Amino acid sequence: MLEHRPLQQSTPLSTWKKLTKHPFFGVFLSLFVMILIRILGNINAIPSGVVDVFAIIWIYIIIGLGFTLLLGYTGLASLGTAGFIGVGSYVVAYILGTAGMPLIVAFIVGIMISIGLGTVVGFISLRIEGMYLAIITLGLSEILVEVFKFWTKVTKGLVGFQLDRYTILGFAVREEQVYYVLVLALVLTMFAVLNIINSPTGRAMLSIKNSTSAAQAMGISILKFRLLSFIVSTVLAVIGGMLYMMYTRSTIPNIWNIALSLNILAAVVIGGAKSIWGVSLGTIFIFGFNQLVLARIPFFARYGNASLFINGALIILVVMFYPGGIVRMFSDLSRISKKAYHWILSKVKEYRYGPEE
Amino acid sequence: MDLKNNLNPTLRIAEKMDRLEKKMTYLASYLSVMEERLAQKRAKKMAKRKEAFRDELFSYEIRTLSHDQYVQAFIQPEIDKLGKNYKLKERAKKASFTRKLSRSNDASKTTLTDAFHQDIQLLHQELEEKKQALIRSINVLERSSQALKDAEKAYQEEKARVQSILDFEEKALKDQDEETLKREKARLDRMLQVMKTKLEALRLEHKNLLLAGQQELPEDIILRLQGLRMQFGGLVAVSDLSFDVKKGEIFGLIGPNGAGKTTVFNCITQFYKPTKGDIYYRDKRNDVINLNHYAVHDIIHQGIVRTFQNVELIWELSILDNLLVGAHSLYQTGFFHHLLKTRRFQREESVLRQKAIKVLTDLNLIAYKDFYPIGLPYGILKQVELARTLMSNPQLIILDEPAAGLNDLETDRLIQTIRKIQKEYKVTIFLVEHDMGLVMELCDTICAISFGKMLAIGTPKEIQSNPVVQEAYLGGE
Repeated sequence: MLEHRPLQQSTPLSTWKKLTKHPFFGVFLSLFVMILIRILGNINAIPSGVVDVFAIIWIYIIIGLGFTLLLGYTGLASLGTAGFIGVGSYVVAYILGTAGMPLIVAFIVGIMISIGLGTVVGFISLRIEGMYLAIITLGLSEILVEVFKFWTKVTKGLVGFQLDRYTILGFAVREEQVYYVLVLALVLTMFAVLNIINSPTGRAMLSIKNSTSAAQAMGISILKFRLLSFIVSTVLAVIGGMLYMMYTRSTIPNIWNIALSLNILAAVVIGGAKSIWGVSLGTIFIFGFNQLVLARIPFFARYGNASLFINGALIILVVMFYPGGIVRMFSDLSRISKKAYHWILSKVKEYRYGPEE
Repeated sequence: MDLKNNLNPTLRIAEKMDRLEKKMTYLASYLSVMEERLAQKRAKKMAKRKEAFRDELFSYEIRTLSHDQYVQAFIQPEIDKLGKNYKLKERAKKASFTRKLSRSNDASKTTLTDAFHQDIQLLHQELEEKKQALIRSINVLERSSQALKDAEKAYQEEKARVQSILDFEEKALKDQDEETLKREKARLDRMLQVMKTKLEALRLEHKNLLLAGQQELPEDIILRLQGLRMQFGGLVAVSDLSFDVKKGEIFGLIGPNGAGKTTVFNCITQFYKPTKGDIYYRDKRNDVINLNHYAVHDIIHQGIVRTFQNVELIWELSILDNLLVGAHSLYQTGFFHHLLKTRRFQREESVLRQKAIKVLTDLNLIAYKDFYPIGLPYGILKQVELARTLMSNPQLIILDEPAAGLNDLETDRLIQTIRKIQKEYKVTIFLVEHDMGLVMELCDTICAISFGKMLAIGTPKEIQSNPVVQEAYLGGE
């Protein structure tokens, strides 16, 4: 009866729910948030210092996304990230500042250097695994920092490298424009990493992490995918360094130390190493918390590295009790709150209406 | 090992041919995937078009209802809702009444009860009034039967008209889709033709090179171990082992603990490089190759795939994705295709996804498609591992203790699955097993080894009655 009765109309809520199911919803949402922050900064709703902090966080998210392919997917731990970022910043500094060549040259040189570095570390990773690989990459990073300090001809040594305002294609570049470049770079990286983790490459990396023998039996070459993940993560780290230099126009050897590598590791682990949203949330949490909250507390402002205590404690807590990271918390919280809501509802009903008849 | 491949021209050409053949299978099987997709898209579009006519048809339909039917359709649900509501109100009154009753003394009990009954009565009256009001609210007059008949006729005519419009549109869409498919087919055929000529040239070159020096191997033998020896330092795990595996049979390797069965497997799949001896294998192209020349991850390209003693699934991937990992050797696109999600990669992915679903359906595992392996029963995991081996178009499947850790029921299911695989996918199966029941029931030929040396080879009956084998298993006197 009545086969043509009208269906229920779609409400704003149901449309929103449909929208959230779109595979790229998260990317567009983060694009919106990033641009919103800049606009709020422009109309002085938030201080420009905070916008700068967020810009640096977007750069660290790019680097973290590369790192998650390494740690969360191929299962290799590296502590050399900071050194690679430093390389990127000095490449831009030297080629724009000293050599006076255009930015595109800096990008080409930077990517070539990063592929070389990634290959070297990747070959090391074939022989050495786990904690020892972390130690070796840490050593490599420290060597790079020493190079930054003492190769004064190129890096200007301990005082650091300050860049004047530069031009791209004849246009003088302002900070705001670089911010949008950062946003674009981050969105492109998100798309790229999403594509990789949902492709045979991502699956092959996960297989290597889970069982090397099964991976080999299925025709997955350990050499190829370890090299690949190291190269991708190094390229992203160096690109991050270049963007950092473009935005802040200054670099000092002492920033690129182990503390930064550890912070990136902490961000990836605390956020959730297998999800790009986890990495983004973790980075915002670690760096935003450090620079926007802890830096205002006198004790932490006085002893800069004291915030590492908190990060370390958080890593231990997350690894021991909540291996999924922050990103798991959202799904868990929604599940628990739904359960609690239904339980409370049933209790209220029982009181009000008495037992079921 | 990759270096060796590059030096040997035969192997290099074989690899090229392999790649070309795989690419051709994608092109050939993509059309069916595309057809399915177009049909889905068409169905979606037509559903939307149908939706557009709904309101119009509803206005016709509503006129065909008599008064009673109208009440049934529109007022009855409201009345039901009202009834439910009042039922709840009554329950709430009753609950509060019982609470009050338990707290009051004997004197006030009677007054409370009276008040309660009065309340309930009032509620009933209110409900009745509301119901009547609802029924009175509709102003549909009782129509004559003639009017109803006319309305029904008009409705049917309108329906037929809409249906004819929809049919016409669907046919137009279908024609359009067929046109697309035809064009795609022509394009794919052109690509296939180019590849075919290339393949022919390669085949000729390959044949000429092969004539130079190929190992002799009888036609019906797929795998031959010749004087295999595996030594770990001073420990000899396998010494001088030679046997043949025939094409299409189920071959069992048995032996007491520590006899070196798994070592033999690892030598065949090149997880260990044999100290001495050769492993000849007849590949898909009917050429005889020595497996010792290949790296571990190249073995699967020759059509040999193995399972493991302990289930080695990828725990962080769903069952379907695990099967796609099994098909890793079939992907012909590289990293940049995956990074940019190109059309060619998407074509491969859709073809392989369809294949994975087919394999899962064949083995009755389709219900577990989106599950993660963690928490699934062991028997299911073993079956998933079997399904994963089928994804890579194997010729020879090597099973390392498939029944280990299974109960009798699961073992029975496994035997049936293995039989089914052998029949439907036309593969040779080579297995190691401790469960003698399974081995005797399943295998065509059995080879018994002990301390790395062969004891006997033959049919299950011959092995069972062999005194040497009995001694190895039960101990000498």
